[in-house]
Amino acid sequence: MANKGWNEFDEGALLFSFDKNVAMNDIATTHAEDRPYSKSNSFTASVADWRIEKPVFNQDYCIDCQFCWIYCPDISILSRDKKMVGVDYDHCKGCGICVEVCPTNPKSLLMFAEATNDDEAIAKWPEKEKKEK
Amino acid sequence: MSEIKKIKNLKEFSTSADRFEGANLLCPGCAHSIIVREVLNATNDDLVLSAATGCLEVCTAVYPYTSWDASWIHIGFENSATAVTGAEAMYKALKRKGRLLQPDRNPKFVAFGGDGATYDIGFQWLSGAFERGHDFMYVALDNEVYANTGGQSSGSTPIGASTTTAPAGRVSYGEKRLKKDLVGIMAAHGAPYVAQVAPNKWKDMTKKIQTGLKTEGPVFINAMSACTTEWKFDPADTIAVSDLATDSLVFPLYEIINGRELNITYRPKNIISVRDYMGAQGRFKHLFKPENEYIIDEWQKRVDAEWERLQRREEARV
Amino acid sequence: MADTMELKDVEVWDGNLASAHSLRQAQVDVVAAYPITPSTPIVENYARFLANGYIDGEYVMVESEHAAMSGCIGASAAGGRVATATSSQGYALMVETLYQASGMRLPIVLHVVNRALGAPLNVNGDHSDMYLGRDSGWIQLDTFSPQEAYDLGLCAFKIGEDHDVRLPVMVHQDGFLSSHTAQGVKTIADDVAYDFVGEFKPMNAMLDFEHPATHGVQTEEDWHFEHKARQQYDLMTKVYPKTKEVFAEFKELTGREYKMVETYDADDADVVITALGTTVETARVAAKQLREEGIKAGVVAIRMIRPFPMEDVREAFKGVKAIATLDRSSPHGTVGMLYNEVAGAMYQMKDNERPLVSNYIYGLGGRDITVKHLKDIFSELIANVEAGSVTTPLQQYVNVRGPKLSFL
Repeated sequence: MANKGWNEFDEGALLFSFDKNVAMNDIATTHAEDRPYSKSNSFTASVADWRIEKPVFNQDYCIDCQFCWIYCPDISILSRDKKMVGVDYDHCKGCGICVEVCPTNPKSLLMFAEATNDDEAIAKWPEKEKKEK
Repeated sequence: MSEIKKIKNLKEFSTSADRFEGANLLCPGCAHSIIVREVLNATNDDLVLSAATGCLEVCTAVYPYTSWDASWIHIGFENSATAVTGAEAMYKALKRKGRLLQPDRNPKFVAFGGDGATYDIGFQWLSGAFERGHDFMYVALDNEVYANTGGQSSGSTPIGASTTTAPAGRVSYGEKRLKKDLVGIMAAHGAPYVAQVAPNKWKDMTKKIQTGLKTEGPVFINAMSACTTEWKFDPADTIAVSDLATDSLVFPLYEIINGRELNITYRPKNIISVRDYMGAQGRFKHLFKPENEYIIDEWQKRVDAEWERLQRREEARV
Repeated sequence: MADTMELKDVEVWDGNLASAHSLRQAQVDVVAAYPITPSTPIVENYARFLANGYIDGEYVMVESEHAAMSGCIGASAAGGRVATATSSQGYALMVETLYQASGMRLPIVLHVVNRALGAPLNVNGDHSDMYLGRDSGWIQLDTFSPQEAYDLGLCAFKIGEDHDVRLPVMVHQDGFLSSHTAQGVKTIADDVAYDFVGEFKPMNAMLDFEHPATHGVQTEEDWHFEHKARQQYDLMTKVYPKTKEVFAEFKELTGREYKMVETYDADDADVVITALGTTVETARVAAKQLREEGIKAGVVAIRMIRPFPMEDVREAFKGVKAIATLDRSSPHGTVGMLYNEVAGAMYQMKDNERPLVSNYIYGLGGRDITVKHLKDIFSELIANVEAGSVTTPLQQYVNVRGPKLSFL
């Protein structure tokens, strides 16, 4: 993408979201994995290196409430068929909102240091918090 | 007339396929993103979007990447409203002339702009577009400051906030001017629908967006956008701070139909104090000094008075 | 379906009405406009056509000239034929959007009815607005009469909308002197004119939902230069041949021939006046009178101001011994634009082939310039030729009250 010359792009201050050879229909009902993204779409880029912490998802406690899905600024909570599937680590910036809004006890998403192995994180998962009266 | 997307509950809503992409340059925890997602996911109609120069534009359309999966235009700082209404005019013309490429679509025209672009430099453009009655929606992303350029005051900056052009200092408590009531001003244009929304109340927001999109004519939506960088709170707390904003009634959620019928759409179970709202943000830190605390008290009085006024208007239907 | 008009072979139109008719015949899809003297009658005439059923495009009366061009940009990016008109202060107000339109490579036609820029405020004709937009990246054509405003108003769409060109086009005409002065304009029938301009062919259109496009991206130090280089490349290589082609087609249709550089009796001329706008016609009268006295006088007018036709300019001045460049805009501290552009074009010639060039500032704020003034200028050029050097100060002000004003 970088290093293209002045003669190698569409004229104007212009970018196309999808493969120019594909007639996109029903974009709003086609999930990311089925879209012919162009190389100019930021979907194909990664901001993984922004993180110093990452959210780890623990399926065991998740109730598929979808709070994490809707409040994730970076479309990094993957939800399919009303079920939480996982975290998109290419797009997650590690903001931690998903953890904050998760209502389960213990939470189904928790922040761990970026280098943490996911299985280790699950093994370290905290117990249910007793509510103080 | 296109069908309105059914959003019974959040689980159903979560089946949406976002038309806004990640790996953009917005700050971690940015509320703009959450708002844009809720707005775009509220409909399955084709979209023509515009954005003013500002955080949203600068972070989602810097060559060689775009984060938009719908047609989108950025011209400059003032003219987001005019850009999208120019496209709306072209749509009307081509429809009349029978030259639409896909004549069976019902596109919606939505302009985005920050508070700087909307309240200040682009106000005339917004006003003109509304006065002309174009069929479009303008969503103001209100983070109460010129965030993209480092936090200068805008017409939306509330009294007492510390900004880089109105900083708190030894002899100043920060911003000295009251925030402009732009929702009221746009209602006074005779717009068929205006509303204030917040991303933490997703159901309220998507309902209003859907109402706005099916309303013919110009629609103004003021979306509270809690800015982790400029309001100075931890990125993980964006929704929590937004909750404080709506529950303290600093950002009341309401709609006005045809400039007259005001409906309050969210009544907090427990109204929290303005003090607690401010306490969560670094931009108000200096107001907790003893010599400045009177400003917090004045704020509380103003918020209470405004809440009272909204309730009276709601009753009176004027 | 819009009604067509039955036009006489020759209609008495002023420049504004002629421009409005060219917009009507081109069947513009969106006109977003704001009134400003002296271009106001263009939008008023267009509104009249609309009210009487001759227009089926959208007509958006916006709240400022900046909004006019902004609306045009949004409409053009959406994908259709777009045009508007303005002058002076309005042009200055929309300058930001002029750069945006050309950088976004959107075909838009802008009729600029040239008027002075304040302060002091002035509504009359001069070229200050034209000069302000020089660097905006638009294709810029100058016209010297209502006939030309009409003809080039039609050509402009064809040039700018070409998919290899994709650039906005300005059509300039003198405020009041052309815009409000009527002449017998030879017309083209509605359907013939539309056929000549052709149907609009969309490219990268926002309303093509099958190919969503992001218009108006930002480019920083890693990409900006390449984008501007591309714009320069297309301006320098695509515009001239396309314009030549369009002018040739127009000549075949109407018999009227247009060139990037118009020359009148310049082939064997010793002394030449170079000017823009209606002054060209006045200069031609002066030159003709001098020819009758045996003086080889000629006039060279640069019709295509941008992209600057350097080769054609050099060709036009070949063999000319002394040139007066007439600028109708206050140069504010230096020589006038035409002086710089012409002298710059001639600089690379061999010393003995290079003509003498001097600069005259005239007509600001609508101040008249007469045949006599121009004949006096020609006399000074002849004196320069005889002396083999510029005998006057390099820059002189013509027809301004007070002591003789000259510099350099």
